[in-house]
Amino acid sequence: MDTIQQEVDLLYKSHFGKMVSTLLYFSRDIDLDSAEDLVQDAFSAALTAWRKDGLPSNPAGWIFTVCKNKALNKIKEGKRFKNLFQEETTPARDPATPPSDPAMRPSAFDDYQLRLLFACAHPHLSPKVQVVITLKYVVNLKVEAIAKILAMTVDGIDKLLIRARQKIKEEKILFEEANTEALKPRLPVVHKIIYLIFNEGYKTSWGKELIREELCEEALLLDRALLNSKIGNQETAALYALMLFNAARFKARFGPSGDLLDLEEQDRGLWDPELIRLACHYLEQSRGGPASSYHYEAAIAYLHCTAESFAQTQWAAISRLYHQLLQLHPNPFVELNYAIALYYAGHKVPAFETLDNLLKHPFLSQYYLLNAALGKLHFLEGNGETAKKYWEKTLCQTNSPLEQDFIHKMIRRLK
Amino acid sequence: MFIKEKLMEKFLFIIREDLNVLKDYTEEARQRGMVEMSRWVETLAESWSYVGGEPLAITGRYVNKEEVVSDGPFIEAKEGVSGYIVIEAENLDAAASFAQTCPLVLRGTMAIEVRPMLGPCPV
Repeated sequence: MDTIQQEVDLLYKSHFGKMVSTLLYFSRDIDLDSAEDLVQDAFSAALTAWRKDGLPSNPAGWIFTVCKNKALNKIKEGKRFKNLFQEETTPARDPATPPSDPAMRPSAFDDYQLRLLFACAHPHLSPKVQVVITLKYVVNLKVEAIAKILAMTVDGIDKLLIRARQKIKEEKILFEEANTEALKPRLPVVHKIIYLIFNEGYKTSWGKELIREELCEEALLLDRALLNSKIGNQETAALYALMLFNAARFKARFGPSGDLLDLEEQDRGLWDPELIRLACHYLEQSRGGPASSYHYEAAIAYLHCTAESFAQTQWAAISRLYHQLLQLHPNPFVELNYAIALYYAGHKVPAFETLDNLLKHPFLSQYYLLNAALGKLHFLEGNGETAKKYWEKTLCQTNSPLEQDFIHKMIRRLK
Repeated sequence: MFIKEKLMEKFLFIIREDLNVLKDYTEEARQRGMVEMSRWVETLAESWSYVGGEPLAITGRYVNKEEVVSDGPFIEAKEGVSGYIVIEAENLDAAASFAQTCPLVLRGTMAIEVRPMLGPCPV
């Protein structure tokens, strides 16, 4: 692959989404799909032109000028157009001249991407649908990739997108000069979207696939953009810390042959100390205001990441944090984590009581992590038969070969 | 000090499936269905929206002034009530958007009726 191709690929990866967002902001008359096509065409044009003439001094600006010119031509095909484009009367601006338009400075792109992200945080959409539309228009994933990540069908994703797109198109945020105050009410929703995207990337069911790590990176980048803008707050910082602590453990979660490792089995030497240090910094930054769920989760992640070993982890402190989190947000799936922390803190009776209560819940009784945890804890208590029963149940509750291999591995330990 | 988001409303999902089909399910098929619902419920909980829910038995009793009728299903079995879920959401549109993401709904084997829960009457 020649260096021009490499340059274009890198630029594509870092700028495609932002350019789409910027185009949408500049013209009300371009819809999302057209904007994507225009940017795509501009990148193709760049590849051809630069192979002939070499790299320009401002590659991103060059591509964006071409985008705007193409958009202008498209608009002139019989549609009305808005302010900034009205200044351009001649479509053929020489792309080699450095752009005087301040909007084409690199940092301006982030603003428009954030604007689109806030538009996706539409109050009439559920968090899951907000995630789908964000993955499509801010992260620029193809529908097939989104379907795979969310374990849904392409048809299903299309259905969700159709209704959601209608809502987003009408969003004033995309087109008007929205001030920070107007955007602030949506910040908690935006945080949730970023959190959910990170969670999807962090799930272990599909294994080491690159797209998972890229999703986590995207979530981190979006949150960092929030922090760098005037809109981010202490909750944004807590969320950033939480994601960094989790990202620090990325490399340790899978063994050399790609097999799944639980927390106890992980080689802590593979945890990234730089990311942990950075996460601690942001955890500090997040203090001083009211505690959100992200604060609690970040604090729990901090205690895990700074523990010398599984055994030396401050389980009692972790269980107290889970308890407080559950007061704030009751959630039976988090109660599972609470019960596990209680067990390792030595409070075995309340731990098993909590787990048995969860089993009585019809949806939870079929939850694979609950059954897997019961298997592990009974195993540790020396109840081999009971452990095996729970692990065999778990096998019916997950389709992931990685997770199934993990359970088989645990069952083998019984012998 | 806790930060509680602005008061969320509660919504009831009335889950409707073809009860004649459910009636003939093997234990295995029933379990598979529950595993799938459990995964979906987890996504509701992930955004801190899940309050509770249960599946319902296919048959029961129908009671009104005139009689107590046993067996059933009574009302149109094709969209009989097979369970319920309670969630918290910002508004009715968001709640409906949640329901839309259920894999069984997207497949066409389930419908969800979304009803706001009225909560206490203002004093």
